Amino acid sequence: MENILMTIGGKAIAMMGAALAGALACVGSAKGTGITGEAGAGLVSEDPSKSGKVMILQVIPGTQGLYGFVIFFLAFLKISAVDTISLMQGGQIFFACLPIALGGWLSAVAQGKVAAASINILAKKPDDWSKGMIMCIVVEFYAILCLLASFLMLNAITL
Amino acid sequence: MSIQKMKKLRLVAIRSKKEELLRELIRLGCVEFSEQDTAGNEQAVRESSQLMSLKSQRTALVGAVNTLGKYAPVKSSLLAPTPEFDGEVLLDDSDIEAAMQVTATIEGSEDRIRRANAEDSRQRGIIESLAPWMKLDLPLEQDGTERTIILKGTFPVRQSLDAVANALRQVSEEAELFPVSDDKTAHYALIVCMKEDAAAMQETLRTFGFAAAAVTGMIGTAKECTAAAEAAIKALAAEKEEATKAIVAQAGQRDALKLAADKLQAKIAMAEAEETMLGTEKTVVMEGWMPADKEEELGKLFDAYDCAWEAEEPAEEEYPNVPVKLVNNKFTNALNMVTNMYSLPAYGTVDPNPLMAPFFILFFGLMMADIGYGIIMIIAAVVALKKMKPREGNLAFAQLLLYGGISTTLCGVLTGGLFSDIPKQVYDIVNPNGNWQGLWNLFSPETDSTLVLYGSMVLGVLHLNTGLAVNFSQKLKRGEVASAVFEELSLWIMLVGGLVWGSTMLFSGVSPVVGKVGLGILAVGTAMLLFGSGREEKGFGKITAAFGCIYNTATGWFGDILSYSRIMALMLAGGVVGKVFNTVAVMPAKNAGGFNVVTFIVFVLIFTIGHVLNFALNLLGCYVHDLRLQCLEFFGKFYQDGGKAFKPLKFEGDYVRAKEN
Repeated sequence: MENILMTIGGKAIAMMGAALAGALACVGSAKGTGITGEAGAGLVSEDPSKSGKVMILQVIPGTQGLYGFVIFFLAFLKISAVDTISLMQGGQIFFACLPIALGGWLSAVAQGKVAAASINILAKKPDDWSKGMIMCIVVEFYAILCLLASFLMLNAITL
Repeated sequence: MSIQKMKKLRLVAIRSKKEELLRELIRLGCVEFSEQDTAGNEQAVRESSQLMSLKSQRTALVGAVNTLGKYAPVKSSLLAPTPEFDGEVLLDDSDIEAAMQVTATIEGSEDRIRRANAEDSRQRGIIESLAPWMKLDLPLEQDGTERTIILKGTFPVRQSLDAVANALRQVSEEAELFPVSDDKTAHYALIVCMKEDAAAMQETLRTFGFAAAAVTGMIGTAKECTAAAEAAIKALAAEKEEATKAIVAQAGQRDALKLAADKLQAKIAMAEAEETMLGTEKTVVMEGWMPADKEEELGKLFDAYDCAWEAEEPAEEEYPNVPVKLVNNKFTNALNMVTNMYSLPAYGTVDPNPLMAPFFILFFGLMMADIGYGIIMIIAAVVALKKMKPREGNLAFAQLLLYGGISTTLCGVLTGGLFSDIPKQVYDIVNPNGNWQGLWNLFSPETDSTLVLYGSMVLGVLHLNTGLAVNFSQKLKRGEVASAVFEELSLWIMLVGGLVWGSTMLFSGVSPVVGKVGLGILAVGTAMLLFGSGREEKGFGKITAAFGCIYNTATGWFGDILSYSRIMALMLAGGVVGKVFNTVAVMPAKNAGGFNVVTFIVFVLIFTIGHVLNFALNLLGCYVHDLRLQCLEFFGKFYQDGGKAFKPLKFEGDYVRAKEN
């Protein structure tokens, strides 16, 4: 087992973490904004004047992708600054990337569902649409915590 | 700063002066009418009004304004203040009739457009259904001769027409099938056969999936019919254009319509007030609420109109019905945004705005903590306040933005954040060998994250204890001394005990006696809390109450205080995201060894887009999480909500507003 890992090398393992942080969080955001966009397109087809507000609701689940990219970027900067990374350090970077990879992915999908439901509020009670936005931001907080968890761990790793 | 004292108003006015009195009251805008009970009041009957017809008139006017907006849109500036009119103008209903006529014209034209659209799609449907038959020269109404019948219809694509033709010939020698056209879904064909064979023919055709074509009711060949439909579509387009022009021609009336709509709104408000009244032949009786400080002014008015009236302070049992109006100064008014969103305080309790204001604004600043973002907020707020001259909800929003901006700027100075770390990043590019460490900071969320985390929680303890203190004083005021001592004071004693005890662990050299004293105080506080929790229970109930109390106090406070860690989380997250955008933005310049035209443009682009995004996200996130800390953690300690808002009879429109007195 250790032999296999040694062949892969610490750097590759670290990169796998960075890749997951970037990719999974973006997958989540794509799903989240996608669900909201579908619901939003339905509303806009009835009432094009609401497209601005629909867009705001749609971009809300997009932030996880951004957070994932932030962690990817920080990890990548760390990785590319040195030539070799030990297996142990590679593993550390890998695990540091996991919170935003998983949390970003799943929270974006969950947030997308709330945002899509909020499109209903916008359609039926346009004056109260900001309440839907607030519900979305509640989900956002957990993505922020995941971002911080990843960030603090990454910060603690010295190569 | 407080909840406005209200007085209950009872008033009998002379019927002939009712309308004039209502007009005076709507201008003053400080009396709320309440529904009266007719039970046991045989002489008086409920007043009637023209509410329904006024409402339908207004709906029509608003519809006309919207139609105008659709066909003759105008760009309205976001910052344009709402037009203002004198109360006198808003009460003058002489031009409503003219506005209704304009409305009728617009409605008529829109109806024409709607009908033309329906007819247009019908004609297009006809063209579409005729398309496969265009090659057929036979008039469509021709369904046979003396001896034959002609069938037009479709076969599914999978059927071969040759096979059909063969099968038909087997039924009758004379039968003939003429293919007309094909498309992706069907073969279109014409079948001619003798009348006597018709039944047998239909039977055979059904086995091949034949369906008769839907071209009945048309006269002439498919080509002729299509041409006729096309001509009709052209005529309809002209009709639509004409009707649209007729609507656009009324665009000049838009402002008049808006004004009329809001004049009607005032009439509706007065009609609604009328419907709460009771009346006899010569008098009307009204009931309602007015702010106590307006009693003198209103009294003079009522006397001038020869009314019989009285105003009395509400009894305590009436409190749930008393409307709540918060009286605030410029600073605390901003927090109406939060209070209105949550729920107004019950009458006779405390106005949370002044208590919440310093914490809300401080927390917001700490979470946002960026000089750049703060200055943008201040500028936006000042522009909105100066240009839009907002009132009520929008005013509170602009004020909150302003105070939040100031607080964000100040906290940004403390954490050294200016668009995250852009000064340092740019310095490093311009001066690669320099060793400037960036803006001065007292603490930075990135390097001192533990300190910031503990600091957030300490602020939380202060915040929660403020709530506790308010509850303590409220209880004393109501005479619930025992509850105040056992539920609030005991917690403070525990807190003091805990701090004294903890000091021995934090600082070396403190005598162990101090620790024991601290433990003692803690024990006294705990005993008081436990005693208090069970003081109204009997026997075994005392023990369960004590356990419940320990559990609730411990988990409740633990959870509440930990919740304040979001201050640190948001402070850090905003900074980190901004920093990454900055790093990406300067990357091309870094690789090129300095700024040139291209790298500078790339820098400005990425920097702007990134920070607009981060700013918008933070603005929303910080507001919502600050809101949560206030509404859940802070309000949980003392707030009694459930007040219903004071809704006086006043001018309220969608398009214009009355000048302030």
